[in-house]
Amino acid sequence: MELDDFLGPRIIIVSGKGGVGKTTVSAALAIVAARRGRKVCITEVDRKGTLAKLFDSEPLTYEPSEMSPNVWGIHIEPGDALAEYLDVQYHMKRISWVFTTTHFLDIITTTAPGFKDILVLGKVWYLEQGRTRSAVKHSFDNVIVDAPAAGHMLSFLESPKGLTDALRVGPIRRQAEWLVDMVTDPHRTKVHLVTLPEEMPVIETLETSEALRRRLGIRSGAIFVNAVYSELLSKQERSLLAEIRSAGRTAELAKVAARVGLDLEEEDVDALVGYERFLEARRSIQARHLRALRRGTEEPVVTLPFLFSAGLALPDIETLADALEKEIEAL
Amino acid sequence: MSAVSEIAARKEVIVCAGAGGVGKTTVAAAVGLRAAAEGKKVAVLTIDPARRLATSLGLKELGNDPSRVSPRRFSSAGIDMRGELYAMMLDTKSTFDEVVMRYAPSDEQAETILANRLYRNIAGTLSGTQEYMAMEKLYELHAAGGYDLIVIDTPPTRNALDFLDAPRRMTDFLDSRVLKWLILPYTRAGGGIFRMANAAATTFLRVVKRIVGSEVLQDTAEFFANLQGMYDGFKQRAREVAQLLQSDATSFIVVTSPAADSVAEATFFSSRLNEAGLPFGALVVNRVHPRLGDPIAVRPRVLQRLERGDGEERLLAKLLDNYEAFMRVVSLEEKNLAALARRVPKHCWVRVPYLEREAVDLPGLWAVSEQLFDGPADA
Repeated sequence: MELDDFLGPRIIIVSGKGGVGKTTVSAALAIVAARRGRKVCITEVDRKGTLAKLFDSEPLTYEPSEMSPNVWGIHIEPGDALAEYLDVQYHMKRISWVFTTTHFLDIITTTAPGFKDILVLGKVWYLEQGRTRSAVKHSFDNVIVDAPAAGHMLSFLESPKGLTDALRVGPIRRQAEWLVDMVTDPHRTKVHLVTLPEEMPVIETLETSEALRRRLGIRSGAIFVNAVYSELLSKQERSLLAEIRSAGRTAELAKVAARVGLDLEEEDVDALVGYERFLEARRSIQARHLRALRRGTEEPVVTLPFLFSAGLALPDIETLADALEKEIEAL
Repeated sequence: MSAVSEIAARKEVIVCAGAGGVGKTTVAAAVGLRAAAEGKKVAVLTIDPARRLATSLGLKELGNDPSRVSPRRFSSAGIDMRGELYAMMLDTKSTFDEVVMRYAPSDEQAETILANRLYRNIAGTLSGTQEYMAMEKLYELHAAGGYDLIVIDTPPTRNALDFLDAPRRMTDFLDSRVLKWLILPYTRAGGGIFRMANAAATTFLRVVKRIVGSEVLQDTAEFFANLQGMYDGFKQRAREVAQLLQSDATSFIVVTSPAADSVAEATFFSSRLNEAGLPFGALVVNRVHPRLGDPIAVRPRVLQRLERGDGEERLLAKLLDNYEAFMRVVSLEEKNLAALARRVPKHCWVRVPYLEREAVDLPGLWAVSEQLFDGPADA
């Protein structure tokens, strides 16, 4: 698949359960887009901090800020989104003490469940339309939403629909309809899921993908599988190692090392072979879950390598972006 | 004796807390399983909507009361079960129903509330409800006294601390000024007091009405007006829950992975426990990459020679490369954990390495419990 086609829909929602690496994937996608000269904004919805730390930039606020060339970031706080919403819709300025009253948002969300999510999606919509609160105008080619955890994400995306059903009349109805149009139009919005090659994440991803289709009529885009251990040994090398191991000749590896002047103790050799075994054990567990994932979905499955550097800095994101480009082009 | 086995032996309530995705549910289930195997009557209460525990325990549906895990399951998994294991998944709505029925001043009022159109939504969205109901259920099970030990897995909140504040957040909300304004027109017939209420209330109501419409506003106000008589009951219970959590009967297990962000959260969380006077029992570091040896220094030139060499040499080069990568992960994890090491005493640490078998069934859970109870204290 052409990268530009992949990045075609302006809104890219990246979702998955907690701890699977949504933020890293969002950031890597942003880098991929930026490399192609696109101006991107990543919106942080769920929790604050991780994204800015990845890019080693100042904490994000409600006003877009550039974290690296062409990669912008914004943190959407429902309270800020409400103030903007009231300003845009009703010309109510934030001067009103009402907005700052504790529990004000609680009241609103209790009366109209899902409203908080609508506010956040509404902000995404504003970004799509190129509207910001300040005088500075931005026109983003892509808005990447680092979305809430999967279970919550469904209700997040369903919120406008739920509202349109529940509030048959009423002031938010029309806005909710615009948002339904936005999230269900495949030319405008694509939802990608992130998961890990583990039992529960895979099951939940398949459930989410299915629920997206059934409940919202949305086909999820790619399913990104994070932290997949790469293959270490070739088939030949594996059988060579198996042979050495079964004959109890692992000590020979020390002799091989000695030939090039490397001094290996017996414990070293055990540890060397031990990590290979550990890797293979993990890989076979992962392979099983990857098979289950591929069996359970028609959506393209994209695997991303396990990063031995723990993936918390820009170079790691660049590495992931390289892998993403290759994988997406191969789709 | 590990910190986990020590508290499992002495405490009546164990709360597992930590960031999402670190394996809290697995740890809670494994602790419950092992304590039951050792002869206790244990209830494991989980809140995770993913039903992970249900799968692990081979239960299709967990009800809103603990149900016993069939002893046959243990024998077929080769586990010697000397006690009894019960498990349940919290159903926020049913628990809320029970709470309404318990605290409503009259049956009629309870009926009115339960029949309210908004009630269904409120059970799910009202700030802190899920956490409040979890604590409510925990308290109820403990007060009933049917179990030697109750292990609870905290809600998958964005922030591990949320649930600590939840009961207070909910009662604060019910007590808040804005809520009083909302229901003011409905609490006194004729609205005399409403007129007296300042312009603040009027502005507030106007804004809310603009957003949600007058029909919805009225429904909501009526609902909260009905709920009024029950606040004292809620608050009383929140105080009792706090007392139970602070008491000697309870202990907290903080669960983390070695990843930097979950370590940061665990660090913050353990200091918060301290401030709140809540008893910290153990720190479980889950899914640690095992350290299999000491670093091996290989000069790049040597590695290059091996890479260009024969089959055995190339194999060795790859093994060395792989070794170096894993050692890098291990030392990174150690570095991430260093902040916690300063805060949490050594004897409270329990590490659970990545196991070759996943904890998705009873034998897998059992393997985790062996690490938790018998694993070596931190070296």
